[in-house]
Amino acid sequence: MSEIVVALAGNPNVGKSTIFNALTGLHQHVGNWPGKTVERKEGRLLLNGKTVTVVDLPGAYSLAARSLEEQIARDFIARGRPDLVVNVVDAANLERNLYLTAQLLETGVPLLLALNMTDIAASRGIVINPAALSAGLGVPVTLLAASRGEGISALKATMAEMLARLKSSKQMREVAA
Amino acid sequence: MTTIAMPNIPFRYPAPIEREIEQLATLFAQTPALTDYPARWLAIQALEGDEALLAEIEAGGDSRVKAALAASLERLRAVYGDEIDIVMVDQRYRFVHDIAIRAVTRPATPPATLSDRIDRIVTHRWLGIPIFLVVMWLVFKLTTDVAAPFVDWLDRVLSGPVSRWVSGLLHLVGAGGGWFEALLIDGVLAGVGGVLAFVPVLLTLYFALALLEDSGYMARAAFVMDRVMRLFGLHGKSFLPMIVGFGCSVPAIYATRTLDSRRDRILTGLLVPFMSCSARLPVYVLITMIFFPQYAGHVIFALYLIGIATAVGVGALLRGLLFRQQPATPFVLELPPYRLPAPGNIWRQMWERTSAFVRKAGTIILTASIVVWLLLAIPVGGEGQFANTPVEQSAFAGLARATTPVFAPLGFGNWESSGALVTGLIAKEVVVGTLTQVYTGGEAAADDTAAMTLSEDLVLIVGDFGAAVGEALRALVGMVGFEIGAALEEPVTTGLAAAIQVGLATSSNGHGELAALAFLVFVLLYTPCVATLAASRHEFGLRWMLVSLVGQFVIAWLAALLVFQGGLALGIRLPL
Repeated sequence: MSEIVVALAGNPNVGKSTIFNALTGLHQHVGNWPGKTVERKEGRLLLNGKTVTVVDLPGAYSLAARSLEEQIARDFIARGRPDLVVNVVDAANLERNLYLTAQLLETGVPLLLALNMTDIAASRGIVINPAALSAGLGVPVTLLAASRGEGISALKATMAEMLARLKSSKQMREVAA
Repeated sequence: MTTIAMPNIPFRYPAPIEREIEQLATLFAQTPALTDYPARWLAIQALEGDEALLAEIEAGGDSRVKAALAASLERLRAVYGDEIDIVMVDQRYRFVHDIAIRAVTRPATPPATLSDRIDRIVTHRWLGIPIFLVVMWLVFKLTTDVAAPFVDWLDRVLSGPVSRWVSGLLHLVGAGGGWFEALLIDGVLAGVGGVLAFVPVLLTLYFALALLEDSGYMARAAFVMDRVMRLFGLHGKSFLPMIVGFGCSVPAIYATRTLDSRRDRILTGLLVPFMSCSARLPVYVLITMIFFPQYAGHVIFALYLIGIATAVGVGALLRGLLFRQQPATPFVLELPPYRLPAPGNIWRQMWERTSAFVRKAGTIILTASIVVWLLLAIPVGGEGQFANTPVEQSAFAGLARATTPVFAPLGFGNWESSGALVTGLIAKEVVVGTLTQVYTGGEAAADDTAAMTLSEDLVLIVGDFGAAVGEALRALVGMVGFEIGAALEEPVTTGLAAAIQVGLATSSNGHGELAALAFLVFVLLYTPCVATLAASRHEFGLRWMLVSLVGQFVIAWLAALLVFQGGLALGIRLPL
């Protein structure tokens, strides 16, 4: 049985590394600074008794491979085909963040939207309707304020649920073939 | 198994484009060389004109695929002209915008956030750069004035009680008095200990850098410096790796990956080592405390500025010589919101970086110290024996003397300094280690005659620490502007300080301060360490690594020459 791979993707400085550290228990350098992660970092996470490899991809505004870091992210998603991509987005700058989401949708990888920095968005009076977001994108949405440690367990639960569902649908397809 | 199942995508392109996407995707899915990629995605990228992927299709597709792609593009050009990609990007934005309208409610008048208000001042057209300089100046005052008392304390503890304890232990087990004791005390303790004594300086520096980074100020610094970089034809994005370079050149070289073109990456990679890394700081602190005790902070601050200025100047030169052409790409940097630094984050960064430093002391610096000790122990000429030879007659002195002609015009052509610079190529902390070993060889071992009991030692250590805290607090208060007993700092008077002072005074014919300054400039500008060379070879290849190695040496040599000979010619007496 091949290993399960989950990739974290998103714009620079949206909290991917913070979420990565919270998921894997590793201590990757977190900086308030775009472009901190220039190569992908890997860690392990135990989800429902199964080991999942979590990959933290460099931040990218789009999947057009203009810089080396965007190239790393794109290659990993388009060719590596992770089992699940957790797209971390900044709730305070949602519209701009969603451009990458649109491109990720086009790759057809299973996607989970992690709406991070909800605390900062709230402090600026921004109200987000997760149901409308989820309906519009056609992917599950989960809310976080990762720097305060909020929403991590909900994220893990959604990840586990999606991975289980993907696995059973994959098996069904293989049986059909 | 190839399924051409189209992923469930909630948005579509205009019908003419959608038609071509479907045709191409079907073809791509049947082309073995292209099945690595999701077929629909690849079709979209191809129509959008992604060059890397088009090349792959060109290489991997058969004639049918190529013909189909050309025909698709032809048909779309008839409808959209040259704007196919714009139409597609626009469609994506429209999709995103529609969702945002449905899912996001913003306040009618967005409140001017605190971040915005701070930025109005900090990134101000005229105030931005002075503010950046003041911040840097405070950082270096902090690392010198506040950390220095603790360096002295740690140094006294290591060379006093700890050396005595090691020696005492060795005598207890019957291994005292021999070459092994000399190796441990003159080699390991003098070399590694001399470097470890600077842990307080690095802790302070890492604390300050973590604070600036976590608060969000570093990104502003890059933004502010973009204007300066632009004056010299450099890309503003280059400044981010350079700021990383204040910590360590190795991650800074890897940070050049954020730049868009290979040329920019190489150019920035060549400049990064001029940014003064934290490993050079112990050398600065040691030398400035000896020669310019009153102005240590100012001198160190000036060194950092010289580093930046050299990087900018060399950058402009290289751009003119090697990388002419190509218009500068615009600098887009997202300014993260200011936030209160998280103590956990700060602590983790300080801890990680400091422990990396201590690990380095335990490996590279330990090895270098032992090698230097061996070279110091081996007699060449004279009638000394192994581990019992005057330092001037050691193999180390012999080898170092061979390099002295290179450094003589710079004012530090004594073999002790030259030797330290050569071993400093391994890592900059080794400069301090070697100087300590060379100058205190034999002294430390003789020190243990003073019979101190363990409790006396402990009282001394604790009492000294209290005094260091007091001094540090005074320095901290002094920084804010209340000068309380600022003149209390006395010149370092230990054996090491006196020996370094005499050494440089002799090598420069009585212009020790000028020679010290030239020495510092040289340390600032030549290759930081072998790890940096390895990183630059990894990122840019052997050729650029050699360019970097040779180029830095030449620049460092010329700059030190300018300082020393220029200072002599102008008859400058230091301190002014």
